[in-house]
Amino acid sequence: MSKDSTTPPAGYDVQREQMLDFKVPEQLLKVLDADGRSDEKNFILTTVDEVFNWARLSSIWPVTFGLACCAIEMMAASATRYDIDRFGAGAFRPTPRQADLMIVSGTVTAKMARRLKLIYDQMPEPKWVIAMGSCAIGGGPYFKYGYHVVKGVDFLVPVDVYVPGCPPRPEVLLEGLMRLQDKIRGRKGKFITPKWITDYAKKIPYRK
Amino acid sequence: MAIENIKTSKGWADQDHVPGLKSELLELNMGPQHPATHGVLRLVLLTDGEVVYKVTPVMGYLHRCAEKIAEGVNYKQWVVYTDRFDYLSPMTCNHAYVTALEKVMQQEVPERAEHIRIVVSELSRMASHLIALATFGLDMGAWTPLLYCFREREVILDLLERISGGRMLYNYMVPGGVRYDVPKDNWASDVIDFITMIENKKLKDYNELLSFNKIFIGRLANVAVIDPQTAIDYGCTGPVLRGSGVKFDCRKDDPYSLYHKFDFEIPVGMGEKGTVGDCWDRYMVRVREIEQSCRIIRQALESLPDGPYQAIELKKIVKAPAGAAYSRVESAKGELGHYIIADGGQTAFRNKVRSPSFCNLQVMEKVGVGLMISDLVALIGSLDIVLGEIDR
Amino acid sequence: MDQKEIYQLMAEKLGTAALGFSDEGVEACADVAPERIAEACLFLRDDERLAFNQLMCLSGIDWDGYDENGKGKSVKILGYAEDGQPETSDHVSEGDFGVVYSLYSHSKLHKFTVRVRVSRDKAAVPSVAQVWSTADWHEREAWDLLGISFEGHPNLRRILLEEHWVGHPLRKDYQMPDSWDNVPLNGQPYGNNPFPTPEVTPDPTLDQPAGDDPVEG
Repeated sequence: MSKDSTTPPAGYDVQREQMLDFKVPEQLLKVLDADGRSDEKNFILTTVDEVFNWARLSSIWPVTFGLACCAIEMMAASATRYDIDRFGAGAFRPTPRQADLMIVSGTVTAKMARRLKLIYDQMPEPKWVIAMGSCAIGGGPYFKYGYHVVKGVDFLVPVDVYVPGCPPRPEVLLEGLMRLQDKIRGRKGKFITPKWITDYAKKIPYRK
Repeated sequence: MAIENIKTSKGWADQDHVPGLKSELLELNMGPQHPATHGVLRLVLLTDGEVVYKVTPVMGYLHRCAEKIAEGVNYKQWVVYTDRFDYLSPMTCNHAYVTALEKVMQQEVPERAEHIRIVVSELSRMASHLIALATFGLDMGAWTPLLYCFREREVILDLLERISGGRMLYNYMVPGGVRYDVPKDNWASDVIDFITMIENKKLKDYNELLSFNKIFIGRLANVAVIDPQTAIDYGCTGPVLRGSGVKFDCRKDDPYSLYHKFDFEIPVGMGEKGTVGDCWDRYMVRVREIEQSCRIIRQALESLPDGPYQAIELKKIVKAPAGAAYSRVESAKGELGHYIIADGGQTAFRNKVRSPSFCNLQVMEKVGVGLMISDLVALIGSLDIVLGEIDR
Repeated sequence: MDQKEIYQLMAEKLGTAALGFSDEGVEACADVAPERIAEACLFLRDDERLAFNQLMCLSGIDWDGYDENGKGKSVKILGYAEDGQPETSDHVSEGDFGVVYSLYSHSKLHKFTVRVRVSRDKAAVPSVAQVWSTADWHEREAWDLLGISFEGHPNLRRILLEEHWVGHPLRKDYQMPDSWDNVPLNGQPYGNNPFPTPEVTPDPTLDQPAGDDPVEG
């Protein structure tokens, strides 16, 4: 290798000096100094629980557990338009050992029940369950003649959030996910129904 | 050579290559919760190292008692359950059921209703094939096609939502017509715009991204070849049968609805990248069927006649005279048939569903032998099964 | 080929085992004696004039309580009642079982339907799995859901339900199970909310969740 290729181009040293010679502008330093406490340590007062919960709710990892029709909507929620990753829950894990959320997306049958329980038991604590769709909530359209259908996954595992619909739209799943995040954050059960929903509900004619 | 060895003789495991070192077959369980089995399918594999010695599909994890329900609820209520067979293309399932029911009832359908049915069925078929491409890419380790395919699928779902009111499962067709007319807000022209975009741009995208990708071809060409004789013997239909080079399509060979009026071709596997009937052929048939669906939709919408969209007013109860009939349509997965026995009442006495995935999956017992496990995943992806339809 | 001609060809071969032909309904069908159905199917497949190389569908039927007059007065099946518990009935089924074979020929482009009927006490039909491979799973399904056994089937096990499931669900007198293998299959009473929501008065000091404000229009 010739010597020329290793020597830096002319003026390089000067540029480098200039770069290293960078100083914080006086004005910025003044802003920092305005409190008069710039060299003191800052601190945040919180609890360990709160920090942990914040970390948990910000990156929920669901297990890839598609059962039926709702699984397609779950896929749609993770795909292009809806992008469940925006809420930190996009890392679908193929193994329950790495997951902390089970989205029961579809009909749970008698044959599947034991496997579902096994997968739930394999998940490490803390773990949550979303019952997605009316089949997982309570048998749905298979209630009356479904000799092979479990009438609600809450007979098998504890459920945190119920997401209704047949199948629920991806928006509804995202809403359920946010309610789960609220639950993890520690807000329990106390939600205010917005006024427009109560107003709208009054307009619906009920069948006597 | 080695694979032939497994199929014919006792197999590798029984041969002592190294004296004093005995090997044996390994039983491996794949599923029911497994990302590569397309739902809750379970495969019990007997493997010799990486090579599959025997494959036994185990299903029933999504058995939802649909045929029992058919004997309990009335005809119109059961349209809801047909949506949930093949939940990737619910319109074709609706179409299959109402076609069979109208055959038993001997009910005429207005021409406009048939046109609308064909349009929504073909849109649904496109949506199903898009999912097939997406998940097939996913199985082969390509994540990006999923995002592309779901983007277009969302547009189809929007269009179908505007005409039927449901996003994914529609309950749109009723005996004697469809539930709602075409919306007034230039729905038809939006559909035309969409299929023009698919034909001109998107299909080229998919082909560049996936179909003619060297790695993709390398994974699929010459893998899991189904010869035509096997395909017919095992009752394979749809893209699986056509991938094997058999030019059979219920829309052409056993016409129902108004498909005989429209001009379209049946794509078959030609063995461009390997042998006729390999995984790539079955994949490519789906891509080409999207193109043909666009052609059908265009013709059906351009010749959309005026008139009623329902033959009879929506009555509470539909009754079918006593009789029995088998009728089939070409769903996205293949030949979807209903055998209905009516007893004159409002409920079917027996309604047997012949689902295409059920028969297509069966061929795996034969073709899966001698494949590598990773090629078995390619085979499952190319069969494009839906468990809701297999288990019912 | 015409349906009647197909039947005549089959009747020549089978003789007295071909029990009859009807084309009154929507779809013509032929009745065959159950013990010779495998032979009949082999003939239908292998004869060059017929060449039925595809079995489209194989349906098992429980003919119990079928209303012969066509008035829709067939026997009602049992389900779960509104309180989620299985309904009961003292009806005992006694009708025949039937199997229907829907055939198609890829080369001749014609269809045909063959039916057999067997008595409930001895519900056994020769298997056609050797004739069409697709019959394998269809027959297993008919065994699973209806309890029709197929003689000579290579692997007659349940296909959809677990091997130790009790009963055959598509029979007309099947009673819904309460539970199976410790998995509860009965349901909550309809409309009975196990987790009643407490009455919550809105707390104005709490922030409203974002995006929940009513928008005009």
